[in-house]
Amino acid sequence: MSIRIAGLAITLFAAVSIATSSLAADDASVKKDLFTVITLQGLPCGEVVSYTTKNDNDHVVVCKDGNRYHVYVNAQGRVVVEKQ
Amino acid sequence: MKAPSIIATFMLLLLAGCAGTPFLAPRAPPQPAAPSPSPSPSPAVIPPTTAAAAQPSELAAPPSTAPVAPPQAAAPPIAGAPPAATLPNPSAAKAAGSTVTAAAKPPAPAAQLPKAASPTTDIAKPKTPPLDLTSLEQRLKSTNAIGVLTKLTLKNQVDDLLDKFRAYYQGKLKTTLADLRRSYDLLVQKVLALLQDSDPPLATDIVASREPIWGILSDPKKFATI
Repeated sequence: MSIRIAGLAITLFAAVSIATSSLAADDASVKKDLFTVITLQGLPCGEVVSYTTKNDNDHVVVCKDGNRYHVYVNAQGRVVVEKQ
Repeated sequence: MKAPSIIATFMLLLLAGCAGTPFLAPRAPPQPAAPSPSPSPSPAVIPPTTAAAAQPSELAAPPSTAPVAPPQAAAPPIAGAPPAATLPNPSAAKAAGSTVTAAAKPPAPAAQLPKAASPTTDIAKPKTPPLDLTSLEQRLKSTNAIGVLTKLTLKNQVDDLLDKFRAYYQGKLKTTLADLRRSYDLLVQKVLALLQDSDPPLATDIVASREPIWGILSDPKKFATI
């Protein structure tokens, strides 16, 4: 019985670890994407510290240098970066 | 049981071939590395060439009794060069042994030069990669090196640049082709900066396509076909 519980615990731990790591990877890739977009617009942002997703392709980004940007895709399909 | 007899027959034929070429012996004097009497026929050609000629000399020994030039001319360059030199030797060797080797050297490179030049030109031709804009576009869309928002941003910037070109050719935009070239280079560098670490093959292909693409952009007739 205890062996079954141990096996279940290990399986759960592995699943949680994999899910966490994949989420962290997604988070890092989104941060990188947002940082690249801001930089391509010629706006300053040392590093993306955090971001809040408001909608699909609609984020509020906080940069390491204190700047906050609203990054979204408008109705014309253009990526817009607005400083807040 | 048959193999030894075949080998023995072949060796006998080789020996017979060597024995039948005593008139080539006068060419031997210029060669220093031929102490034995048997290697006299082919070694005359060995000194000018390198150690790699040892095998061709052995191969050339049996047929050296007769004028072997035609078959050897069809042979690979290494084997073909020495026999080509042996042809003028009989006449010149009697005059001066040392000059024979000197005279033998020029024909060989001369004969090899065209053969060496043709492959290089053949290789140089396929180096020019055909411009495949559709493939490049598809690869840019599908690469994981760039995020979705970044791809969209780049696409916007490409569209902006194309609009500038369009306006320039329509006379609506007062700018120069040099300025447009600067904008184009900047955009390409942005793309390359994003790709070079994560997708080097695509970055390399974009670098290779850089000038052909500019050739299209800078030509109003070609640009109109886009």
